[in-house]
Amino acid sequence: MRSGAKALAESLEKAGAEVVFGYPGGNVIDIFDCVRTAKFRFVLGRHEQGCVHMADGYARALGRPGVVLVTSGPGLTNTITGLGAANMDGVPLVLICGQVPLDEMGTDAFQEADTTGLTRAVSKHGFLVKSADEIPETIAQAFHIATSGKPGVVVIDIPRDCQEAQTAAQYPARVSLRAYHPERFATTAQVNRLAKLVNFAKRPVIYAGGGVIAADASADVTALAHKAGIPVVTTLTGMGAIDSGDPLSLGMAGIHGEPAARRALADADLIVALGVRFNDRTTATLPRRQWPRIVHVDCDASAIGRNVQAGFGIVADVKDLLATVDSRIRPASREAWTSRCRPTEKEISELSKSVRSRPGYVAPKAVVDAFCREAGESLVAVTDVGQHQLWAARYLRHVRPRSFISSGGMGAMGFGIPAAIGAAIARPDGKVVAFVGDGGAQMTAEELIVAAELNLPVVFVVFANGTLGLVRQMQKAGFGSRYFATDLRSPDFVKLAAAYGVKGVRVDDPARLDAAVARAVRAKGPVLLKVRTDPEAMA
Amino acid sequence: MKVVRQREETYRLNCFVENRPGVLARIVGLISGRGYNIQTLHVGPTEDGTVSRMRIDVLGTERVVDQIMLQLRNCVNVIEVTCRRRADVIVKGRKVEKRHA
Repeated sequence: MRSGAKALAESLEKAGAEVVFGYPGGNVIDIFDCVRTAKFRFVLGRHEQGCVHMADGYARALGRPGVVLVTSGPGLTNTITGLGAANMDGVPLVLICGQVPLDEMGTDAFQEADTTGLTRAVSKHGFLVKSADEIPETIAQAFHIATSGKPGVVVIDIPRDCQEAQTAAQYPARVSLRAYHPERFATTAQVNRLAKLVNFAKRPVIYAGGGVIAADASADVTALAHKAGIPVVTTLTGMGAIDSGDPLSLGMAGIHGEPAARRALADADLIVALGVRFNDRTTATLPRRQWPRIVHVDCDASAIGRNVQAGFGIVADVKDLLATVDSRIRPASREAWTSRCRPTEKEISELSKSVRSRPGYVAPKAVVDAFCREAGESLVAVTDVGQHQLWAARYLRHVRPRSFISSGGMGAMGFGIPAAIGAAIARPDGKVVAFVGDGGAQMTAEELIVAAELNLPVVFVVFANGTLGLVRQMQKAGFGSRYFATDLRSPDFVKLAAAYGVKGVRVDDPARLDAAVARAVRAKGPVLLKVRTDPEAMA
Repeated sequence: MKVVRQREETYRLNCFVENRPGVLARIVGLISGRGYNIQTLHVGPTEDGTVSRMRIDVLGTERVVDQIMLQLRNCVNVIEVTCRRRADVIVKGRKVEKRHA
């Protein structure tokens, strides 16, 4: 027999948790007492939203579930944005939350909140534990649900009396859930039809999304593209599905994407959509007449037909399907089509011109290029949300999966700094660079101290243009340049970094950029580069 | 492609779910959170006490109701969901649904 809290810590070890992010409080104090001596590492954030983004960044960088431990009431309500960001992008994450004792629930007790109610819309599933005996099995079930099917957030609410009560319950060897069977397989007929469509297509395009990264199917996508001569377009979260330096890679689709990618999708006679949701950012540039030419493959049946009516839908694991279909695909080069898809000379020269900026400012592309040069293949890029996110997505050389970490679906500002800390903990071998704007940086700047405390070699790059660039851009394009509430005063980020124990460097002069980036990349601890960028620069 | 504007109709969702606390809230939240109004809701136990049955009438187009059904099936506690037009279920005020259940 041991306490429910002890059983929880043991269960987390058994579930394979190596790092837990969190913040303590009164209704989880028993659990924290057991975490103190647990085998996994505990990382103390400075705000619960930051803790969740850290676990999210950790999970995306590593492909394993992130774990967060917070207290009841405000501890829980602070996590909502983070949970939404993770759940929408299909990131496996388990949130454990304290709760007031069972007999006090519903009495407006101190720090009480309806956890399962509040988290319902931002999670895949939620548990309310009602006895200490349920704890080991609930943890096992939560990890299973979070990581299977379309991964997502699972919330476990544990009342304090259940943490204190004694239990002999053991961690189960196997998880069985009566109504949850997320495994999906394509039928042979579906596989054959897909192969036939690909073999007979004259102008096929692969459209790869975050589902490809989540399924670890990047190599399979690249192999299919090469075997059959199919250009690849990706979504924001699908970056890394193919090396962006590959001649078959056309970059990101959608309103902020590459013209070549948009053109390929519009001209294709077959669109093989793998692990995408057809988010409105991309469907806005996808002509409706193309819908019947789409083969939509996703592990989530509800994704198919939600936003576009694809000609043919397959509910299956992307990796499984590509492995099965491979032998039925005829090798082809499709030279005429693939060369027609490539960016035009004009597009290439326009892109290369964007390394220059107006005098007095540093060009965003020059910043991104400098990091690509210095960090090379070890670069793990994390972004916040805004113009810099789109610049990073477009200008970075995406060599491998899980090296571009960004809040795609939710677009949660404040994601960048903490997610980069999580990614750095997950990938000590990589060079983590956080690209953030001066808006988002102020939403979660408090987490900088965690990077300093753990001496993580993260480079935080603040694109300081004194404005909320993406919203300002919308005001320019759609509201007659009537700018309002977008220009914002920011603190001196160099001094702010220093106050948090992070080395701050100011880069206002493009001539000093390369040297500053080189030093930052080689630094053993955290560095913040404040880069002055042009508020008129568009994404 | 010809785009056909779909007609709104009342559909009846027949759900078998695990009889656990919070399941009803999750299902109702899933429907109402997307802006759809539940017209009728009936919940009761089946002969198997661990399974509850829900009948939910929702007004929407076929596509919308299909989407609701698929998302309900994604719920961890939902065992099965079927859907029919209510007009096909209720004939002259007499329920013939039992035959199909």
